[in-house]
Amino acid sequence: MKRLFKSLILVAASGILALGLAGCGEKKEEKPAEAPAAAAAPAPKTIIFATDAAYPPMQYVNDQKEIVGFEVDVMKAVAEKAGFKAEFKNVAWDGIFAGLAAGKYDAISSSVSITDERKASMDFSDPIMSIEQMLVVGTAEKATDLAALKGKSIGAQIGTTSYLVIKDVKGFKAIKTYDEVGLAMEDLVKGSIQAVVADSPVAVDYTTKKYADKIKIAATLKSDKVENIGIAVKKGNAEVIALVNKGLAAIKADGTFDKIKEAHKMK
Amino acid sequence: MTETRTIDVGEGAAIPSKSDWGLFNAWTISIVGAVGAILYLILTQPAPYKRIIYYLADGVVITFQVTVMSILCACCIGLIVGLGRVSKNKAINLVASTYVEIIRGIPLLVQLFYIYYALGRFLNVHDLTAAIIAMSVCYGAYMGEVFRAGITAIDKGQTEAARSLGFNTKQTMFLVILPQAWRTILPPVGNEFIALLKDTSLVSILAVSDLLRRGREFSSETFLYFETYTMVALVYLVITLILSKGVSFMEARLSHYVRH
Repeated sequence: MKRLFKSLILVAASGILALGLAGCGEKKEEKPAEAPAAAAAPAPKTIIFATDAAYPPMQYVNDQKEIVGFEVDVMKAVAEKAGFKAEFKNVAWDGIFAGLAAGKYDAISSSVSITDERKASMDFSDPIMSIEQMLVVGTAEKATDLAALKGKSIGAQIGTTSYLVIKDVKGFKAIKTYDEVGLAMEDLVKGSIQAVVADSPVAVDYTTKKYADKIKIAATLKSDKVENIGIAVKKGNAEVIALVNKGLAAIKADGTFDKIKEAHKMK
Repeated sequence: MTETRTIDVGEGAAIPSKSDWGLFNAWTISIVGAVGAILYLILTQPAPYKRIIYYLADGVVITFQVTVMSILCACCIGLIVGLGRVSKNKAINLVASTYVEIIRGIPLLVQLFYIYYALGRFLNVHDLTAAIIAMSVCYGAYMGEVFRAGITAIDKGQTEAARSLGFNTKQTMFLVILPQAWRTILPPVGNEFIALLKDTSLVSILAVSDLLRRGREFSSETFLYFETYTMVALVYLVITLILSKGVSFMEARLSHYVRH
């Protein structure tokens, strides 16, 4: 019995070792193949974009574990036009700006609304598109504005402009902040909260796809200011801004932008 | 008049050592340092820090609520599980052991998500309730193990003596074994309390507005990450130090076993 156990451990250990070696072997094979290619042509600059890929349809992780979405496609097209390589890194929203300030990535492409407060601590590209804030409620809810939801619980994603809209509104039972907008929607479907404020593309996506029969858009929260989304970079990083702006202008001029919009069925 | 005799139990109990430097010890330095740092920051730079501490205030209350409620529930669950684990009844023993195995095998973060979001589909519980349930269920299993270890550590002779004096099994457990076991159990249980307090920071993922969540809300809005998290860390440190002092007070009291 003891011998059997010993031999089992041996087999398991050698198996793990073999796997590990195979893994190492693969990596080694890859490197020499890449090197000559990079040496032949001047390597295009790689810009690493941080994105909170839990924000459908703008950016999310698909079944193949790839980061996809409208803004991802836009940035890929921008990269092609401006001649750089775009790499996406999935970063949690809460702390995404701290990572940018710490230089962990070059830019944020995560439906970042351009606000004066944010402009104070980072720089933005030209606007990609404008969005609005929308109020999402359960299908049975009759309220069509924030005032009608007094005494109820409301939620939004932490640190977003959606949260800023409800932050100082008095009279709610609770204002809850979620790490991901999806968790807020889940809580709304579950009935723990009665309303969620979210960016218009996201609100439309959740109310038409995932939870189409359970939640609906009650209203668009009007604001006197136009809310634009853009690419955020560390203060003073003019190089990346110039590249992004160049690419954005190019895809907007030649109709690529509209094609991507159409492909994603954005209004 | 009853004569009071004090029996010193040396092994394992916290007794002030001869080399104790009085007030100059790790705990005092930490608490004075932490409280001092908070006061210094608030007084010298009221602009961010005073705002932060006001913003965090209701978060501290929530953290405290979750901690106290979870400790109480976890102790009850732990005692039941501990007794179940030493039970001679096979069925009870099996149920208690299975509970411990399952709960210990699932990370607390996953349990929190599970209770709030997965089970929430069938049974809609309030976020704070879900947090307390998850913390209690998880720490109940850990504490059950501590209780079991404490109970089994008591010499068998104690049970035999109690039984031969005519105590029934229940009396033996509650009047003889547990009072003695409590002494060995307290230090590790105290550690669990402190671990629990720190783990309450995990409940912020359920959007419970505890200390950490309040800190995250504040920092994500103002981008004052350094200032906010310094404050959050210091406040946690102060609460933990106070709790650990409370535990060592209880230990000190129990290190002398007084019989009348």
